[in-house]
Amino acid sequence: MTQAINPMRPPAGEPRPYHFPLFERRRLSNGVTIWLVPLEASSLVSVHLLLDAGAAAEDEAHGGVAALTAQLLVSGTRRLDATAFAEATEQLGIEVSSESSWDSARAAFQALPRYLDDGLALLAEMIREPRFDAGEFERLKAERLADILQARAEPGRLADEMFLRNAYAADTPYHRVSAGTPETVEALSRDDVIGHHEVHYRPALANVVIAGAFDADEAVAAVERQLGDWAGSGPGHRAIEPHAGGGRRVVIVDRPGSVQSELRVGHIGIDRYDPRYFPAIVMSTIVGGTYSSRLNQRLREQLGYTYGARCGFDPRRSAGIFSATTAVQTDVTAPSIAELVAMLEVARTTPFEEAELRFARDYQVGVFPLRFESTAGIAAAIEPIAVYGLDDDYWQTYRDRLEAVGPAEVASAAVELIRPDELLILAVGDASEIRADVEALDLGPLEVVPAP
Amino acid sequence: MPDVHFDRHLLPNGLRVLLSPDHRAPIVAVNIWYDVGSRHEKPGKTGFAHLFEHMMFQGSEHVAKGEHFSQIQAAGGTLNATTWLDRTNYFETLPSHELELALWLESDRLASLLPAMTQEKLDNQRDVVKNERRFSVDNQPYGTWDEKVQALLFPDAHPYHHPPIGSMEDLDAASLDDVREFFAAHYAPNNAVLTIAGDFDPPEALSLVERHFGPIPANPAIPPAPDSTVEPLLGRELREMVPDRVPLPRVYLAHRMPIFGTPGFDALEVAVDLLAAGRASRLYRALVREQQVAQDVTSFAFPIIGGAAMLVIWATARPGITSEQVEAALVAEVDRLASEDPSDEELGRVRNLHAASVESSLERISERADRLSMYGCLFDEPERVNTEVSRYLAVDAGRLREAAAASIRRDNRLVLTYVRAEGPELGA
Repeated sequence: MTQAINPMRPPAGEPRPYHFPLFERRRLSNGVTIWLVPLEASSLVSVHLLLDAGAAAEDEAHGGVAALTAQLLVSGTRRLDATAFAEATEQLGIEVSSESSWDSARAAFQALPRYLDDGLALLAEMIREPRFDAGEFERLKAERLADILQARAEPGRLADEMFLRNAYAADTPYHRVSAGTPETVEALSRDDVIGHHEVHYRPALANVVIAGAFDADEAVAAVERQLGDWAGSGPGHRAIEPHAGGGRRVVIVDRPGSVQSELRVGHIGIDRYDPRYFPAIVMSTIVGGTYSSRLNQRLREQLGYTYGARCGFDPRRSAGIFSATTAVQTDVTAPSIAELVAMLEVARTTPFEEAELRFARDYQVGVFPLRFESTAGIAAAIEPIAVYGLDDDYWQTYRDRLEAVGPAEVASAAVELIRPDELLILAVGDASEIRADVEALDLGPLEVVPAP
Repeated sequence: MPDVHFDRHLLPNGLRVLLSPDHRAPIVAVNIWYDVGSRHEKPGKTGFAHLFEHMMFQGSEHVAKGEHFSQIQAAGGTLNATTWLDRTNYFETLPSHELELALWLESDRLASLLPAMTQEKLDNQRDVVKNERRFSVDNQPYGTWDEKVQALLFPDAHPYHHPPIGSMEDLDAASLDDVREFFAAHYAPNNAVLTIAGDFDPPEALSLVERHFGPIPANPAIPPAPDSTVEPLLGRELREMVPDRVPLPRVYLAHRMPIFGTPGFDALEVAVDLLAAGRASRLYRALVREQQVAQDVTSFAFPIIGGAAMLVIWATARPGITSEQVEAALVAEVDRLASEDPSDEELGRVRNLHAASVESSLERISERADRLSMYGCLFDEPERVNTEVSRYLAVDAGRLREAAAASIRRDNRLVLTYVRAEGPELGA
């Protein structure tokens, strides 16, 4: 039909260097750190205000208070009720977000540069003088409880929740999702939110990241105007010491009628400060980080069991999980589990090929500039530096550190970070269809639990 | 206002080429839209356009199975493809010194896909796509909603009667002959728009495009788009109740509307934002915040071009609230669009949100390339990438009310309600 015109892969041209944008830090006398990332070509400005007020800062009896506090902030200020606050921001084309993770709370917006001052003023008003309206509190609390119900109806999110619950011991806060459980959220009062805000929304540990099109001195002056006379210092976060929920075992979460099984196989992984962080990235890229990875090639492209399979780490201030993740049609649940477990074991017993190692490094190094195309993406990139106290040259040296990962480092990462004796093998699916086959794999003690 | 610079070229074989240089970062986006989507599928072959898209990653004469992905990723790029009702797009973003790699891979499969096709690959991707359907439709709460909306808004034989994912039976029926026939009919340079955006030299890029795509022959007999003519209104209210594995009821209101690219579509796009963009929107304010009958609200207009487009609005009930209560509240707000003019402040709000959101999307070269290809492919007017915002801003209260009165009405409404299924048949 057509002729072979260009049978060979064309040679690459001369690479052009990319540098992560330069940024500078200023500090207000009350402790607020301002990170300025000017981007000449940007037509937007992004502001991210970070506070040490995430779930790690709450006490366990009030699980979910950080998330609810963050959500309630957008419901207005003493001056503006919820609707008036939404109108004031949206009139400027701004949608203010406020959310929390384990390691921080973040209030943020993106705007056309001419609205930077007005946006900052509204953001500061929201953080410093929140309305915490009683009716809005009840509404958002009920919404959060309903969200949990909705999440549990989705097999993937149910699997994520149940994996955490089983991977960590009950005395480790990470055994629940950061936004809390129905029991802890049900117990929250408006006073708990007010208390969390009062104690933890304090300038001493606050960071303001501004990226995009702005004048540095004017922006600092604007932050000074809005936050300069804010005072106080919070206790910060508690230390979380992760404990495993048990040894190697199989948990089936029964979801009758499921046409697929959601699978999670893994255990506790690494924290954000782990010296094996870069080898861990390379290792998990090879095993399950790309379309061409071992897991995806085997389960999808050879066997057709799934739409996709991957694995990865979730590093936090303390160790988050490492897991392999996929969803497979019900009748191949057991063989898929066997494949996942076998591939994780092979990763630590058989040396990686040089070509795989090169591929994973080249991929991660190559996609580096793609991660920072947007103004908001660059502002987000400053967050780990601010929140975890990484070196200022973290992104400048990032690719060199990836390139430096050699066969020995990646092999020891696999041996140390994949622990077959501790694997939690979890399936959310129809137990009546999958139990016998999974049991026959004889991978460890098996428990069938109802979906919560 | 967006100001995307680009040049357009036409190869002798009919390939339309759009070049939009931007040297901020050493990266480049390659994006191809083929003028073929699920609406071009034959009866009994639903899901085929999408399955075919998967086959485009199974190798071609000089590229092995999986190599398209592995070559781009090894070069430090990202890539994917999507199939929708009207079109199929394929795209790569990668370091700019590897531009030719993306062009070579795209051209090789367009020039010589068929020699690489085997039954084994087809069977494998059929299994993958069936798992994609299980994952996104069959095993998800509310997962069947768009299948139901399309089936009820469009008559049986209409090209939009089914979504791109297709049915399990039809996927089972797909054959290698179908692959050959579909490829021969629709995959030709004169049925595509190729956009390159980012860090490249336009004359050099054009000569690379000529080198790789130039020798691929045109198809002089591209089948015409299927007849998508449909009455602008449903003519009556349709209702369907779906028992599903959902904890909370959800009500969808779906309407036929003027197609993408028309002033009527623009006006209803503004209406959609008045309803549910942001926390000051009408539905969020009324249903979520004030009446507290809904957990969340969503609305959007499908940008499709055959016969009629779709305007869909939904709300999920709060615990303890019935679907009837949610429906009544939704309908009250939605009907107000046709009876009451929005204030200047309200229009100003959605205009500013829209302008900021377009600005933000266009920061990424992949999105810029995709929009250029889209306007090039659907309208042969890539310059719409720069005028789309002003079309939106030009919608005034009068046009809005007129458009709402014409489409958002009871005799043009499908009410699709998901309720919690009881008993063991739950997951059926």
